[in-house]
Amino acid sequence: MKTDNQDKIIALTDGSVGYKGKSNTHKVIKSAISVYALKGELVAVIGENGIGKSTLLRTIAGFQPSVGGDFLICGKPISAYREKELALLMSFVSTEIIRVSNLSVFDLVSLGRFPYTNWFGKLLDEDRFLIEEAILAVGLQGYEYRMVNQLSDGERQKVMIARSLAQNTEIIVLDEPTAFLDLSNKYEIVHILHQLAREKEKTILFSTHDLTTAIAEADRLWLMLGDSVVQGAPEDLILNGNFDAIFHSKHLYFDRGKGDFRIRKLTKRDAHVMGEGIALDWTLRALSRNGFKVVPSTDPADITISVNYPEWSVRHLSVETKFNSLLSLCRYLNALER
Amino acid sequence: MEENILKFSGQNTHGYRVLLVFALLVPLFFLLDLLVGSYYISFPEILKAIFRTENANDQVVLIINQFRIPKAITAILSGAALSVAGLQMQTVFRNPLAGPYILGVSSGASLGVALLVLGTGGLLGGSIVSVASSWGIVAAAWLGSGLILLLIIIISARIKDIMTILILGILISSAISSVVNILQYFSNESMLKSFVVWTMGSLGSVTNVQLAVLFPSVLVGILIAILSSKFLDAFLLGENYARSMGMNILFARMMVFLSTAILAGSVTAFCGPIGFIGIAVPHIARMALQTAKHGLLLPGSILIGALMMLVSDIISQLPGSETTLPVNSVTALLGIPIVIWIIIRNKNTARL
Repeated sequence: MKTDNQDKIIALTDGSVGYKGKSNTHKVIKSAISVYALKGELVAVIGENGIGKSTLLRTIAGFQPSVGGDFLICGKPISAYREKELALLMSFVSTEIIRVSNLSVFDLVSLGRFPYTNWFGKLLDEDRFLIEEAILAVGLQGYEYRMVNQLSDGERQKVMIARSLAQNTEIIVLDEPTAFLDLSNKYEIVHILHQLAREKEKTILFSTHDLTTAIAEADRLWLMLGDSVVQGAPEDLILNGNFDAIFHSKHLYFDRGKGDFRIRKLTKRDAHVMGEGIALDWTLRALSRNGFKVVPSTDPADITISVNYPEWSVRHLSVETKFNSLLSLCRYLNALER
Repeated sequence: MEENILKFSGQNTHGYRVLLVFALLVPLFFLLDLLVGSYYISFPEILKAIFRTENANDQVVLIINQFRIPKAITAILSGAALSVAGLQMQTVFRNPLAGPYILGVSSGASLGVALLVLGTGGLLGGSIVSVASSWGIVAAAWLGSGLILLLIIIISARIKDIMTILILGILISSAISSVVNILQYFSNESMLKSFVVWTMGSLGSVTNVQLAVLFPSVLVGILIAILSSKFLDAFLLGENYARSMGMNILFARMMVFLSTAILAGSVTAFCGPIGFIGIAVPHIARMALQTAKHGLLLPGSILIGALMMLVSDIISQLPGSETTLPVNSVTALLGIPIVIWIIIRNKNTARL
């Protein structure tokens, strides 16, 4: 199926990002970027540090000029928009933590109405309604008169998202919105973005280092690899092996079954394992962490482990030892090593 | 129920109430400021002099109209101007320790005046009080403060660290003082005399003629600041956010630059360098009004700044004695504890 150019809210064709130097010498950070985003999609930009995620997002947000190729927003080149036009079409959330004292949640979110209010920024009833709606959408009702510097990092990031909602734009660009957040907040923020894309049909572009949440919630990934940028549904990119190339590290490999990166370990010795269910799964994980390779019972191995949760037994050189936790089991196995 | 209405309207009623209190305190302290001075005048006599009733004492009328009222008005103007300049600098540089004095903008104004007075000293020597020379001095001060402000803008575009900018500001001030000293060293006696007279400037030295220049200048500066209040709000989130909301950064910066240079320059031109009002008052305003919106912070800083200068002036008269302290020593003693408190608080919490 071919996608009509009209549907592409953001479309990059052979784009290059970087910095414009003097007399047309560009410092190109990333080139040959041909990706797009459709209306209502949540797009995650993924790649190693320093590969140009931020530069790409800053270029799309119009903060810096592109150094080559086409960057179209709703079919029109970014450079052809005036600042005010772009502000009605696209809002931005940065990775920076805003530390302004005595600024209430309501007042911060109300700044999103900047492109719509008069010279003095006077809020009309319609503005107030949209501000309340934005605060509600990120689940911060009742926080209106709390001061932003007294909020947790997760709450503060929600306020920043509410501000971009109040700006009422078709596109929202977020530069690493989950960078400073703890795990539960990471999930929550990305889930909020997912819902906004679904329910309000917004096109949302965010960069992240967190693969698990991106794979779980994003409709489309822009995967920035060393020599190319590829796009697709997360699952497609896992199946066709593009994920393996994200990190240039010998010690990491992408586990296609689990959808996550693992540290490559040298296996020290073989073992037989018997058991079933979740207890078996987690026993296998513990063994893998400790450098044991599980082999079929037809192959030789001098260690046999039976899982009978909440008990484990190990047979080694015809000596049988019982354990009531994986911790003690692992300590025993590691001691055998020495 | 009342809370619900408050919630839906999004109004900061607390802020307006505090503004009202300060709006009442300023005229009160204005009258108090008229009362103190080296010559004792009773309150009824002051009222008689102000309203020019028939039985008013001529000498009292002279003192009140020619000295005390201009001085009190100068206190209000300079306090408001320095506070608004400081507020704008703190917001745009996103630096809680920014202020016209501490970053060298006031000394830039001094340099402008020094170049004018010492450069053309012979011309201005005797006529430093005329309207024309007042405008000359104030224009030189605007240029001087504008120049230093431009320098700080360029530096702060490259260096984001608050403390580094502060140290650079102090170094700039010292460098300018040295230049002014060198200028003094090479100038002749009459030029030097008129410059020294200027450096000893204080609230009390501002004549009615100079007030005719200071008043419209401060008014214009404050007007530009009020016109930029929406821009200043957007600056709170930093330039990227401001730009993403459709603000023309260059235009907004120009507005703030113009206003700050005019305000800091005008006050320094006539009252000499007055420190720590510009840095301390915006913080008091934020604390008292519980807001970061400039629609409230600007009037708040104007009122609190005016009040603080009136209080400083009253203290400097040392009520009950005939001695007068330099007003900038009083503002320093009042302001520095606040600055220390900001630095300590800044270590563990918010930036602005």
